[in-house]
Amino acid sequence: MILPVNSITFSANDKDKKSLEYTHDTLLKNNIATRMRIGVDKVTNAFTVYPAKGMKGSKNANFYEFLTMGTVPYLLGSGTLMMMFNGTSKHYAPFQRVMSRETGNKLAMGVLFYGIMKSVSKSFVSEPVKMLTGVDTERPYAKVIYELPEDINDTDIMSIEHHKVFESVEFPRWDLLYGDEVKGEKRNYRYDKIAKKLGLGSNLNDSDQEVKPKIKNIVVKSNLAKNISSYLWAAVGVGLAFQEPWEKYFQVMTFKFWKGKQFGKSLKSFGKSFVESAKSLWTGKGKGVEKHAGKMLVGIAALSTILGVINSVTGIKKPAKASEIVKKNEGYVKA
Amino acid sequence: MSTNLIQNYISKPVTSTQTQTKPKPQFDIQQELNNRTFIKPLRAKGTLLNGNIFASPKYAFDNTIYSIKAIKHAAAGNANDHELGKINDVGLVGGGLAIAGYLFTRRTTPLTKGLEFVGLGTFLASMTIWPKVAIQLPAYLIHGVNVQKKYQDSFGRVKPFYQDPQFIPWDLYSDEEIQKIGNRLRVPKDIPNRRDFIQEKMKKIAVQNNTLWMLTAGFAPAIMTGLVCNGVTPYLNRYLDEIKNKKADNILANVEKASKKYQTHPIENAIKEITKTNGNKPITRELTEQIADVFAIHLDPVTSESFRKDLSTFLWDGKYSITEQTAKDTAKNITEVFSKGFSENFLKEVLPNEEQMLQLFRDNNIVGTSLKPVEFKKVQDIVVNEIIKRAETFNQANPDNAEDIKYIKKVINSHTTNEHPIIKALSTTRSAILDSAVQTKLNNTAKIFDDFKAKNLALDEYALIKTGSAPETVIANYWNDVSGEILKTLGIQYKDIEKIRFDRKLMGNLLRERLETIASDKAAYEKVMKNLVEKISTINTKIKSGDINSHMLKGDYTPTAYEEKVNTIFTEYASEIRKAGFNRTADAIVGKNGNEAGSYIAVQKAFAEERMLGVKSSFFRLLNTLDFFRKVADDPNALRTFNKVPREVKEELIEMCKIISLEGHSSDHATKFYMMRNPSPNADTSPLEVKNGKIVNKYFGKANGTTDIPGDKFFYQNGMNFMFGDGIHKDTQTIIDNSSINEEFANYRRLVFEKVGGEEYFWKKRHKVFGYSDVGSDIKFLLTGIAPDELIFKTGQQHFNTTKWLKTFGYFGAGLLGVTVLAQFFFGRMKNPEVKK
Repeated sequence: MILPVNSITFSANDKDKKSLEYTHDTLLKNNIATRMRIGVDKVTNAFTVYPAKGMKGSKNANFYEFLTMGTVPYLLGSGTLMMMFNGTSKHYAPFQRVMSRETGNKLAMGVLFYGIMKSVSKSFVSEPVKMLTGVDTERPYAKVIYELPEDINDTDIMSIEHHKVFESVEFPRWDLLYGDEVKGEKRNYRYDKIAKKLGLGSNLNDSDQEVKPKIKNIVVKSNLAKNISSYLWAAVGVGLAFQEPWEKYFQVMTFKFWKGKQFGKSLKSFGKSFVESAKSLWTGKGKGVEKHAGKMLVGIAALSTILGVINSVTGIKKPAKASEIVKKNEGYVKA
Repeated sequence: MSTNLIQNYISKPVTSTQTQTKPKPQFDIQQELNNRTFIKPLRAKGTLLNGNIFASPKYAFDNTIYSIKAIKHAAAGNANDHELGKINDVGLVGGGLAIAGYLFTRRTTPLTKGLEFVGLGTFLASMTIWPKVAIQLPAYLIHGVNVQKKYQDSFGRVKPFYQDPQFIPWDLYSDEEIQKIGNRLRVPKDIPNRRDFIQEKMKKIAVQNNTLWMLTAGFAPAIMTGLVCNGVTPYLNRYLDEIKNKKADNILANVEKASKKYQTHPIENAIKEITKTNGNKPITRELTEQIADVFAIHLDPVTSESFRKDLSTFLWDGKYSITEQTAKDTAKNITEVFSKGFSENFLKEVLPNEEQMLQLFRDNNIVGTSLKPVEFKKVQDIVVNEIIKRAETFNQANPDNAEDIKYIKKVINSHTTNEHPIIKALSTTRSAILDSAVQTKLNNTAKIFDDFKAKNLALDEYALIKTGSAPETVIANYWNDVSGEILKTLGIQYKDIEKIRFDRKLMGNLLRERLETIASDKAAYEKVMKNLVEKISTINTKIKSGDINSHMLKGDYTPTAYEEKVNTIFTEYASEIRKAGFNRTADAIVGKNGNEAGSYIAVQKAFAEERMLGVKSSFFRLLNTLDFFRKVADDPNALRTFNKVPREVKEELIEMCKIISLEGHSSDHATKFYMMRNPSPNADTSPLEVKNGKIVNKYFGKANGTTDIPGDKFFYQNGMNFMFGDGIHKDTQTIIDNSSINEEFANYRRLVFEKVGGEEYFWKKRHKVFGYSDVGSDIKFLLTGIAPDELIFKTGQQHFNTTKWLKTFGYFGAGLLGVTVLAQFFFGRMKNPEVKK
């Protein structure tokens, strides 16, 4: 028998109950604040809770945790790359030290920009797609997990995972997109909006059934665009970091925010170097391919995004194939 | 009355008949059940994949095909999650290639360009190899569980078996297989639910290993990449060096062909642009400058200066144009020559101002005409007549201040050509029109210059690849190769230089110590000298002495192959431009009357030759130093003229020679060097003692009040004789005689003795050891080369840096691997269930 999970309580008393933000899977708003919060939560867990569970070989360890831990090698790898140039430089002669640190700092900057550009550039695809189709391919939701108790005294069995509605194109969380009629929301109001945006008309009887195949199509195509273009934008980030104007910034770089004047100067220099580096990447040096390599890099990344967006929104106004629409009057499985 | 329901049945017997259906062929009960009202999962049709820990090429190929299909499906909007995951991997590689490609263009040398791709490839490979070698293999060897096992699902998708610990397709393992793994895991055989327990244990090991993978994957690929790139660098460099060297040889063999890529005709194109906009217009001074600039940016400053002068004549048709400006300039110049000795009134009333002069020129219809230089009197007569007319009028009106008419004429006419007010004005407007004839002449000249420039660039490319003072040139690679070998041959190791690497003096002491030890042992000396000579001799294989060499060192002034090409191309060019009228330019290119001194051709040849002299001299100096140490270590008393001098002076002299040969710069040989000596040496003339290659100093360093004694010229001259004038040690001679550098080495020693030792201010004035030094300070500098202590100081630091890096990250990598493997022994620990009784 499947128990209604909401009614399960393993707590010995109310004091032991973990106070969680959500009691059931909850659709979240896709805004900067939520994304930041999710990001911080994931990184924190990736370095603390999940490795601890994994190294113990917990029976509750799952694929989500494994994937979330993917941040760990990314960040540690960045640090290692920096360390490889800066770690031994203190043993070098002054000039060699300066040269080594310059390369190390550029590498560090490159890794940082790689991560930022890879993350930010996904919105270069998702935002236009959302604007043109109404489909938010990055919509997050909080998933409430009920774990198995690790032992007889383990009452802390609930945890929250942050997923995306369209994380799986085979099993999207369509259910979360339905409106809550208890709150007075129309059941299909989200699907209605998308249907209208897609030009399928308003007041459809079953807008959800009409748009689901189309949403899936859009999600798959935009995922393709994101998977390819985000790495190319990440390459642009690395290219940006390897420009000469950063060398000026490295001379005044400090993270000691408590030293107001120095930190302010460092920030100002960062901004100036960023602008100059962007110009330098675009204008290039030398001649021929060397001169235009920066433009080509940015151009390829931009082109991949543009083509990706165009492909994502192309053909969506075609009526759904008969095979894609569920026929309500027929049985799902033949008797 | 109620109805008897039972009765109903009794009265209505069941009459229906059941028809027997034939069983379907190949009846499958599972399928039948699936088609009933229950929705059941599809039958497991997956299979476990067996293979070794390294992905087979077939798997890699299939994976690539799968990824391509996945992209196709995704572009149509039909891809599944697994396919989208694969596309992410494609994106990762694509992004990596984009980074490597961009950084490739930013690097300036072939090695650093190549390493961008080596780095990317190694990084991607390390990401795959690390979990296999550090996680999968040890886990399998220790536990018997393949934690990176893969399976193919019903749809043919290959997935990691333990990807999601909550959904492991255990049914793909047969009971027999699980039990076998259980035995390997030492799970008791008679526990209840043994299979479940084994599976739990396997899952635990897999989860722990997956976590360990994530925790270590950040460090491993980065460090592996660094280590691999470091290891690959010498081999890649050697390979690229050979390619580069061949490329340079091909350029020299066919300069014409190699110059094709430089045939971009920049001068011809620019001249065409100029003639397009200025065709058939007068050639003004500005236009002349504009044309000159087009040529000049492709010439060196000296040649361009000569070219400007030639061009000015080249464009002039031999006449002056009389323009409105000529009239104004004439008025200005006339006023200037009368400015002294004439009253204000005179100047104002007699001399025509600019407007009046212009009107005068117009009235005489000379504006717009041209004349030859000798015809300038036409203008002069008009101007002088006008002034005299006005002067006469002035004299009549001012009899008290009347001026002498003859003198007025003289003031204008008596000037030399350069100062003559009218010629000066005329010469600013040389007459020339950029007509079709001039255009053709200019275009032809531009073609000659463009063609020469292209060939010159090809020659430059050759010289740069072979001898350029830049990273990764043939000579730079040779330098790095030999200096690295010197360190190794002398047995100078990381631990020796760890504490002293920043102090040149201490590094010099280390080198001296090492040389003395080596020199004291015949066998060790011969081994080291042989190694060094062999290594240093490789220059003659890399850069054939017939192609580029120092004539001084070679002792042969026959032009090298490179010089032959330079001679041919430069003289052809000079001859062509001479024909076109550019005589001064031709002289600047190839020199005057066969004397190349200061010409462009001399500079072109000298660059490569002097680089060879500097590099070879540096290494020859080390050989000579080691040889001197051997002579001292073997028998210091065999050094000539030693019999008559006090032992203390001998000790000072040997010390001075060791210092100068190890540390001396070219400036030390010219007045700068001071040797602190005892002005009152002990009279003891006993022979020198030597132990382990060192002089046992009985007196040196013990006297107080030491000072330089500039008057003792024999002291310094003896030093020079010991080091360079006298023959080399017999052990050295045997080795050198069997090498390709024997003549060059002998010439080097002679040249230092003559050119450095023959300097007027050699160490001190009038101390020179040889008659006459006929070379400049540049040659003396090149002959002196780098001081051995400085060579070791620099090379030692590089060696230290590389070793330090390798040690730090090598140990870190090894430690990481060790910890990762060791962790296996703590994985999969579970309390066994109670054994059945």
